[in-house]
Amino acid sequence: MNLHAHPQLLELLAASHALGTLRGGARRRFEALAREQAPVRAAALVWQSRLASMAELQKPVVPDAAVWTRIRNLIAAEQEQEAIARQRTAPPPEAPARGGWLRSLALWRSAAAAGALATVVAAVIGLDLSDRLRNAPAVQYVAVLSDDQAAASMLVTFDPKKRQLVLQRVGSYREGEDKSLQLWALPPGGAPRSLGVLGRDPALKLTAQEADVRSVPALAISLEPRGGVPSERGPTGPVLFKGALIEKTL
Amino acid sequence: MPQPSSDAELMALIDRVGRRDETALRLLYERTSPKLFGLAMRVVRQREWAEDVLQESFLTIWRAAADYRSTLSPPLAWMGLIVRSRSLDFLRRRTADRAQLTQEFDELMAETFESDAANPMDTADASEQAWALHQCLSRLEGRQREVLSLAYLRELSHGELAEQLKLPLGTVKTWIRRGLDKLRSCMQQFA
Repeated sequence: MNLHAHPQLLELLAASHALGTLRGGARRRFEALAREQAPVRAAALVWQSRLASMAELQKPVVPDAAVWTRIRNLIAAEQEQEAIARQRTAPPPEAPARGGWLRSLALWRSAAAAGALATVVAAVIGLDLSDRLRNAPAVQYVAVLSDDQAAASMLVTFDPKKRQLVLQRVGSYREGEDKSLQLWALPPGGAPRSLGVLGRDPALKLTAQEADVRSVPALAISLEPRGGVPSERGPTGPVLFKGALIEKTL
Repeated sequence: MPQPSSDAELMALIDRVGRRDETALRLLYERTSPKLFGLAMRVVRQREWAEDVLQESFLTIWRAAADYRSTLSPPLAWMGLIVRSRSLDFLRRRTADRAQLTQEFDELMAETFESDAANPMDTADASEQAWALHQCLSRLEGRQREVLSLAYLRELSHGELAEQLKLPLGTVKTWIRRGLDKLRSCMQQFA
């Protein structure tokens, strides 16, 4: 169809398309024409843009602060997923003959939070955990949770045999007497799910199923009133530490 | 009350978001979320749902920011399109009973009719195009404006509009056609 000869009709079609009232076969035909002919595409874009200005005409309503918290968590989970995807496509290092768990930390250097991980390796060795870790259970999931300055603060491992999440504080952060730290799983595209409230010991264990950590790209720790908050509401306090949950490949 | 942001400022922020700048996303959110949340509320009507829509919209914005420049859209229009899409997706996913949907629609209709007629738009805070649209919409007859707004916000077909408004199909088509025609000649003056 030669729409050049019918400018009024082109305008009406482009406007109807942007409005949403152009349907079915007519819509598909118009879109095909828009792909082939630049003037049709131009009219379509002009109208789409005009009507989209209706967005600005709405009465503003300020959303609750919790909405931004949830968006930030969604973005964090998205980024960790991208980091994991990049790590998986990175070439594997030469397989070490010995050294086991600590040596495999070399795999993490290609991840986005390389700085934080280097800090953790130093911290872990410094804390003389190396002996204990060599005799560690066969852990499959590991996470390093860091703060906004990429300083590592919590080491998290999941032991599927004992069905436990083991957390180790490696930073100097201590929550106040009236506060508790709460651990959250950040599943992709979903709301954060509480994995438990942390006690005040340097090393803690939380009961968990493998289902709780499988396909969860990231974990986060938020600062909550003492005793924590119910899972459904999501974190109410600030997220202090977060990090990618990495499935360790042996 | 945040300072009104120019299109140029918003576009620069979107560019930064495309380069994975989280601070830029937060700034973008602070400047645009009231308008976008207002839009989401108009379409889905309930605050909790509008919150879900706003969250999904910003995730989409985060993912699509790198491609924004190729859309040739003003920034708030682009973000508004995303919010509208996510809102409509949300409504389609819901399995609500017809009675509730009809009630929401009636409320939406009443609001559309009053708000577009007597809305003194804050001109300092609007893009040129939005101002032009506002002017041109206010020159339409109430019924034409109502039908156009509803068609756009809820993405209804002629048939669906006729059913919801209890009007003959021919009448709805005529109003839309006349409304779009007037809108076109009016907006061309502003172009």
